[in-house]
Amino acid sequence: MPESRPPARRPTGIAGLDRILEGGLLASGVYLVQGPPGAGKTILANQACFHHASIGGHAVYVTLLAESHSRMFGHLRRMTFFNEAAIPDHVYYIGGYSALASGGLEALVTLIRGAIQKHKATLLVVDGLISAQESSPTDQAFKKFLHEIQTLADLTECTVILLTNAERASGFFPEHTMVDGVLHLTDEVSELRPLRHIRVLKLRGSAPVRGLHSVRITDKGFEVRPRIETLSPQEPMREGVPRDDAKLGFGVAEIDAMLRGGFRQGAVTMLLGSSGSGKTLLGMQFLSEGIKRGETALYFGFYERPESILAKCQRVGIGGLNQGVEQGLAQLLWHRPVEGVIDELGESLIHTVRTLRPRRLFIDGMEGFERATDFPERLSHVYAAIAQELECLGVTTIYTTETRELFAQRIEVPIHGLSAATHNIILLRHIEHRASMLRVMVILKVRDDDYDGRMRELRITDHGIQLLDTFAAESRVASGGGVSNEMRLKDGEE
Amino acid sequence: MPTAPSILIVDDEFGLAEMLREMLREYGYDVSLAINGRLALDILKERPVDLVITDMMMPVMDGGELASEMRTSETHRGIPIVMMTSLPAAIPRQDPRFDAVLRKPFTPEHLLTTVRRCLDASPPANDSLPALNPRADALKVRDPDPSR
Repeated sequence: MPESRPPARRPTGIAGLDRILEGGLLASGVYLVQGPPGAGKTILANQACFHHASIGGHAVYVTLLAESHSRMFGHLRRMTFFNEAAIPDHVYYIGGYSALASGGLEALVTLIRGAIQKHKATLLVVDGLISAQESSPTDQAFKKFLHEIQTLADLTECTVILLTNAERASGFFPEHTMVDGVLHLTDEVSELRPLRHIRVLKLRGSAPVRGLHSVRITDKGFEVRPRIETLSPQEPMREGVPRDDAKLGFGVAEIDAMLRGGFRQGAVTMLLGSSGSGKTLLGMQFLSEGIKRGETALYFGFYERPESILAKCQRVGIGGLNQGVEQGLAQLLWHRPVEGVIDELGESLIHTVRTLRPRRLFIDGMEGFERATDFPERLSHVYAAIAQELECLGVTTIYTTETRELFAQRIEVPIHGLSAATHNIILLRHIEHRASMLRVMVILKVRDDDYDGRMRELRITDHGIQLLDTFAAESRVASGGGVSNEMRLKDGEE
Repeated sequence: MPTAPSILIVDDEFGLAEMLREMLREYGYDVSLAINGRLALDILKERPVDLVITDMMMPVMDGGELASEMRTSETHRGIPIVMMTSLPAAIPRQDPRFDAVLRKPFTPEHLLTTVRRCLDASPPANDSLPALNPRADALKVRDPDPSR
């Protein structure tokens, strides 16, 4: 029995899209890209053409009643993929509407066939398919046109991309049944934020990553971010991710003692606490200790800018961070907490971790991901995917999340789904104690390890972080209703 | 009465060629259209023209091929040719096949100046018209967008 070979594919050069499409479009495939005006159809198709040209291929771009070529070039010029030098030898633009208007679909097919042959095209784009459909005297004639395009693609091994507007009066969509794939683009606004998505409605001969995926149009062109939860995690023990049993501590003797040395490699730890409870400084202390030991460290934050955090750390004696940055041991990444796309943030984080290979990671403000989400119900899956990937990459992670209440007897993890993706939880909060507000720290959970669960006062001084036994003789401190054991005995509780 | 200079516009993009034709007709030129180089040569066989204005990329026969054919033809080699393009980098600076290059988008005045220069300053039949719109300098002639 002859060995079956996987079908040849032509990558679009849009990394995220190629991942969704299992590597790209089939060599003789006919694909429909549909979406409303402004969704990015033309950019996607042009980007595919210039990528095809960059690897030595030839592309022909036929416009019907679409944007004129000079107007299109005017828009494309700001995109980094646009390479004028590839025109006309590798990317060739022709107008097809005059032929369509004068000779109908038959003349259009002749024009397309001639262009493919003349320019040895292995990628063809027809922009404005709706004009062909509207020029068609009957539904049957339009189906015949699509069939001829299919035959042409087969004979010439040319990949065909047909662009059309998804919003049309006619309910007749023969192109959906007659093409090898349908990519649907959307462009919507959610809570004043523009949200673009791409969805594979159909893909013959492939197992695409289904569902909605984020799209952004930047000066790099059409960028697709596959849903982060569809990531295949790296192999945990693969080469390049050395494992050891050494624990990673904070470099604060009392805290490390409570943690029996620190966190295991790959562990994900939540610092849960109210505003001002010391979460960020504790996280930075964790990075600082790593840098002192010559380890690589990554800060990934949303709210305070890195320079402000570095200055604050310096003021309270958390040292070594500036030097770590200068020496290339540490990197600080800051993202604006608005207008983000959760998949883009997740990809940025994971890409940086894969590239920099930090031993320690501090994510300051997990809410930054929450704000960037398009669908809140995704959050728990996103966190699980990110946590799993970080664990597999061998990075030991601390992240902060803020409780809504400053003083409360009941404390909830504010983001649904976070706990499940977390190995260890440390609670930080303020309490009123003998007419003073104190910061306290308590370890709530350490997966598969022993720990000291006592409540301790966390004091931030000019010389760094200290942990004190302020509440050794008291109970119910965490709930804010601290009372001395002596008093409890008096009240007859025991 | 002298006959109006004749111009052949060769462009595959729907709308642009028609718009140029109307504009040049208003200035008194006799204008015909072709949607590719091959059809342009067919028209030239039937009746020679005074000037050809051609797009670069077209189906069947492009502007470069049309110019090459014309330059090797006994009957057409003397006809001035203007190349219209939005990608001037695609045309060598000193391409001897072309007498002028019009970069899109261009103003009506620039078009008219180029046409007159290539026709050796021959005035069009209707040159007495107060032809240019006073605002023409500011008005860029872009390819029309027929979908609007």
